[in-house]
Amino acid sequence: MSNLDPVTLQIIWNNLRSIADECFVSLMRSAFSTNIKERHDHSTAITDAHGRLIAQAELALPIHIASMTGLMEALIERYGNDINEGDLFVANDPHEAGGTHLPDINMAMPVFDAGRLIGFICNIAHHADVGGAARGSMSGGLSEIWQEGLRIPVVKLMSRGTLNHELFDILLLNMRLRAERKGDLNAQIAACRLGASRMGELLQRYPAAQIKVAFQEIIARSNDRMRSAIALLPDGIFEFEDFMDDDGVAASDIAIKLLITKSGDRILFDFEGSDGQVQGNINLTFNAVQSAVFYALKALLDPELPNNQGVFDAVEIRAPEGTILNCVTPAPVALRANTCQRVVDVVFGALADAVPERVIGAANGSNTSAVFAGTDPETGQGYVYLETLGGGMGARAGKDGKDGVQVNITNTSNLPIEAIEMEYPLRVLEYSLVEGSGGAGRQRGGLGLRRIVQPVGHVCEFSGVGERFSHQPWGVFGGEAGKCGQFIKRYADGEELKLANKASNVPLEPTQAIVMETPGAGGYGPPSDRDKQAVENDLGSGKFDLEFLNDKYRF
Amino acid sequence: MGWLLGVDVGGTFTDFYAVNTDTGEVVVHKLPSSPQDSSLTISSGLDALSDRHQVPVADLERFAHGTTVATNALIQRRGGRMALVTTSGFRDLLEIGRQIRPKIYDLQADYPVPLVPRERRFEIAERIGAKGETIIALTEAAVDQVVEQVVNARVDSVAVCLLFSFLAPDHELRIADALRRRMAHLRISVSCEVQPEFREFERMSTTVLNGFLQPEVSHYMTRLGAELIERLPNASIGINQSNGGLMSVEQAARFPIRTALSGPAAGVVGAVDTARRSHRQDVITLDMGGTSTDVCLIRAHTAEMATGREVAGFPVRVPAIDIHTIGAGGGSIAAFAPDGLLTVGPRSAGAVPGPACYGRGGDQPTVSDANLVLGRLPCELVGGGMELDLAAARRAVQPVAERLAISIEMAAMSIARIVTSNMVRAIRLVSIERGHDPRAFTLMPFGGAGGLHAFEVAREMGISELLVPQAPGILCAQGLVVSDLKEDFVATCRTPLNGDLSAVHAELERLRQASDNWFQREAVAPCDRLLNLIVDMRYIGQNYELGVALSADGYTDLPARAQLERLFFAEHRRAYGHYDPDAPIEIINLRLTAIGRLQRTLAMQDGRRVQGAKSGNRPIWFDDGGAIDSAVWHRRDVAPGTALAGPAVVEQFDATTLIPPGATAHIDDASNMIVRLGS
Repeated sequence: MSNLDPVTLQIIWNNLRSIADECFVSLMRSAFSTNIKERHDHSTAITDAHGRLIAQAELALPIHIASMTGLMEALIERYGNDINEGDLFVANDPHEAGGTHLPDINMAMPVFDAGRLIGFICNIAHHADVGGAARGSMSGGLSEIWQEGLRIPVVKLMSRGTLNHELFDILLLNMRLRAERKGDLNAQIAACRLGASRMGELLQRYPAAQIKVAFQEIIARSNDRMRSAIALLPDGIFEFEDFMDDDGVAASDIAIKLLITKSGDRILFDFEGSDGQVQGNINLTFNAVQSAVFYALKALLDPELPNNQGVFDAVEIRAPEGTILNCVTPAPVALRANTCQRVVDVVFGALADAVPERVIGAANGSNTSAVFAGTDPETGQGYVYLETLGGGMGARAGKDGKDGVQVNITNTSNLPIEAIEMEYPLRVLEYSLVEGSGGAGRQRGGLGLRRIVQPVGHVCEFSGVGERFSHQPWGVFGGEAGKCGQFIKRYADGEELKLANKASNVPLEPTQAIVMETPGAGGYGPPSDRDKQAVENDLGSGKFDLEFLNDKYRF
Repeated sequence: MGWLLGVDVGGTFTDFYAVNTDTGEVVVHKLPSSPQDSSLTISSGLDALSDRHQVPVADLERFAHGTTVATNALIQRRGGRMALVTTSGFRDLLEIGRQIRPKIYDLQADYPVPLVPRERRFEIAERIGAKGETIIALTEAAVDQVVEQVVNARVDSVAVCLLFSFLAPDHELRIADALRRRMAHLRISVSCEVQPEFREFERMSTTVLNGFLQPEVSHYMTRLGAELIERLPNASIGINQSNGGLMSVEQAARFPIRTALSGPAAGVVGAVDTARRSHRQDVITLDMGGTSTDVCLIRAHTAEMATGREVAGFPVRVPAIDIHTIGAGGGSIAAFAPDGLLTVGPRSAGAVPGPACYGRGGDQPTVSDANLVLGRLPCELVGGGMELDLAAARRAVQPVAERLAISIEMAAMSIARIVTSNMVRAIRLVSIERGHDPRAFTLMPFGGAGGLHAFEVAREMGISELLVPQAPGILCAQGLVVSDLKEDFVATCRTPLNGDLSAVHAELERLRQASDNWFQREAVAPCDRLLNLIVDMRYIGQNYELGVALSADGYTDLPARAQLERLFFAEHRRAYGHYDPDAPIEIINLRLTAIGRLQRTLAMQDGRRVQGAKSGNRPIWFDDGGAIDSAVWHRRDVAPGTALAGPAVVEQFDATTLIPPGATAHIDDASNMIVRLGS
């Protein structure tokens, strides 16, 4: 079909990856906010003229994948014939512009060769604030998307090279920390321009026709690769159901239901029967569901698979409108990551029998987050300390689940204790593994994390988001469930009070402390099959006590 | 007459580079490494130098040594049985680390299991706060208890790492003292001595690794020291560190972790020296060996430094030359990915079985096989020793050719193009992605295979000049000879820049005192002493700091606030593209590097210039257009003054350099080869 030899294709592909990587680093370097600069909560990509994803930066985040393609669909639908050299598009809205939550602002810049559209350079960055009712634009307890921040449909921020200052001013006025936002948005614009100019250089070395064939080939080859991986799965129907704990406002035990139909090299994920969208902010737009499904499939079938349109095209996904997995206006969505994690668990659960050797027990299945806020008694300045905590990873066919680690779609690092205590008037009293929290099994589930934090010399407030605090992470093939997580307020006399799963604004005295325990994870295979030496190690390491081991393994 | 000797022990070969500082005479020697005992190899190398090359070994002035003992021990997990003592509530820290996975999509990939199992990680009741204040005092009873636990654990090495010990080392030192009194032979690594800076996990990991390596490395160092003192009574002995400087044998035995990343560092020091002698100051190195390629950017004669690196999957925080490594070497294997595309590396045929053309049982197509098929490698390596099997190479490459439906030669070209493309990505990473334009740099290929691919890499990057060292295969050993003594001191002293800096001044004074003591201990003459100060600063609220170098050639004192601010802005602008003149800044660390200058100007060889002669011709593939008849030169025949033109190949015992059509080359007064690539 093409006149492009595979080696030249490989080299062009390498070049495209390098361009995406360079844009990623450039955005990271020139951004102003810690979230992008140091936590790397951003992604960059290249699409073809139809908005189909071709290449992504190596460090791009799974959750950003579908959001980027969502933007492109909205963009092409709206501006199909009005895309010109020097235009720059911006969007963030989950309901109107393919986003997944408002803090993720998407940008796309078209690339032309001799007047003909070749593709787009895209990036996406999580902004520390996009306005709305609460600082950080991620707060719970809100019931409408308008409260979560400024909504941006797909619009041109630049037209034929000219910045639309009026629009830029509207964006900035609606966000807190205006200078930082301006710096981050400028960094995004610069990264688009850099990518476009690198594409220009590539087009000088390889004719546009060859680049276009390369795009086709990349999609076709990844599509083939994904389809052949799917074909290796046994044909059949696979089902699973799991529940979100609650939405922090009204609903609890929210069902996520999946039916997979697999035949030959085709696979359909149907989420029919999942519960309706909820008032709290754990709803997913359809794109977020896609991100979670692709993550799960790639992890199970082919971790080295490149992310591009060819992979997406190999999979069909359905989720009825108005449900928690395909919410519509005005559903709030800020905490979508927790629900994405559960979708990954559900896909794993459904495909357990299809790929028994690759599937893992349910992991801590959440994105446990904690916020401590107050006023530093020494400086008189306000502070907000945010941390996301890992937990147990599900047991694998060949080895135990990893203890105390970020799982699935998230992989953010913790803040050093010495950094926390130098930075904030807080003291970390303990950072440890939650003994006994991993589900028993031939391979056991990973342990959750415990972190105990106390304010120093002042009263602060704690807010937390926990999932799998009510619904245990299940095991597979006879492996047992891991323990749930919990937030506890500990008083000076040692008295403990269990807090809500989505606790907000809990006051904390300097004599008190918050105990955060994240969920463990599920085991793999019947506990009776566990190797005797492994059980002895469980005892020797103190990760499990004798009573537990006696009970589960007749040790 | 003064002779210096550099001995670099690598995975496959041990290289000897001896130089006479008066005459500039150079003697090189290469022996296969002995995996069991590198001191045997060193011994026979010394014999050969004295017997075959008439180097007066007993009169050697300096013996500079690069060793992989630590690196190998880590990779093979061969180390001491260990215990860890840490603050109550934090023994799991070593295992939790940064709570991340190495690969986000890979459910099977984990960071390695900690080197100290949980049951030998002992907690002790004590706590230091963020200002260095004591929150929970350390009691004698607690110390006694933990000493008892360590005794009962029957370990041969222990690491002590407490929270905030970098601010108040007293608790750590008391515990170490008590342990030492109770168990005289126990090896003890204390975090406030190994790397006293903030971020507890990285400090703990580094301290544990140091403890793990101590038994093996100190054993090696003790034996080596004893042997050398007999054979080389007049030589000072230096051990190479990851920061590119030497340390004493005693320091190496105490802080073996500092050698863990030292392998490629010596090569970079050699590259800096080579570039200086050829009057080039901005260079990108391309050190291609059998399994990997190391890339490093050198600006103004200075290699970039990094403090956070990984060894065998464990984070290590010691100052190290910032080298980027990719899995592309002569032994890298060509294979097809599931999408039908050709990939090369990171899987490698290694030294055994090695590439198919080595005739040691390898049958997978490697980069070396491709180079042999293309005529780029000779069938017999210069200096004898090894013949390459062209038929075996063609057999190995044939399946690639069949799958791509092209000739064997074109398949070999494809392998070469892919490996070039991988190296280009690595160079982009250290240059373009860090704000440097590679076109302003000279590319310096070395290692056995660097010279085979440099011209293609340079063309892809728009680089117009190559600088090929006289002995590209032993640049590491050469680097050892020109290395200085080096010791790094660090103090964390987090202070707002606009606040009271007296504590910072006090810390600096303390570091200076420590460096003075070190200078005296190492007997460095006052005229050879040099101090470099780097101040790590950041905007308040940032998580990572930027190192601001105060001067490259010594310093007197902490500069004024305004000067520090100005330097920070400049560094922020360079690293991130912008700076904010109004945001508050804080100082995080002081890093003082003490350098004892050993380097002396090595004499150039006599200024004679001659036009050498080629030794033959052979057809070589430079591009898809087919093989062209190319001049074959032996490096020993190309003395300073020789000019040659591509298409040509320059061969020597352990390295081969290609000069493509349109390019010209000449040998300069430093005996290095400068290649100018045509457009």
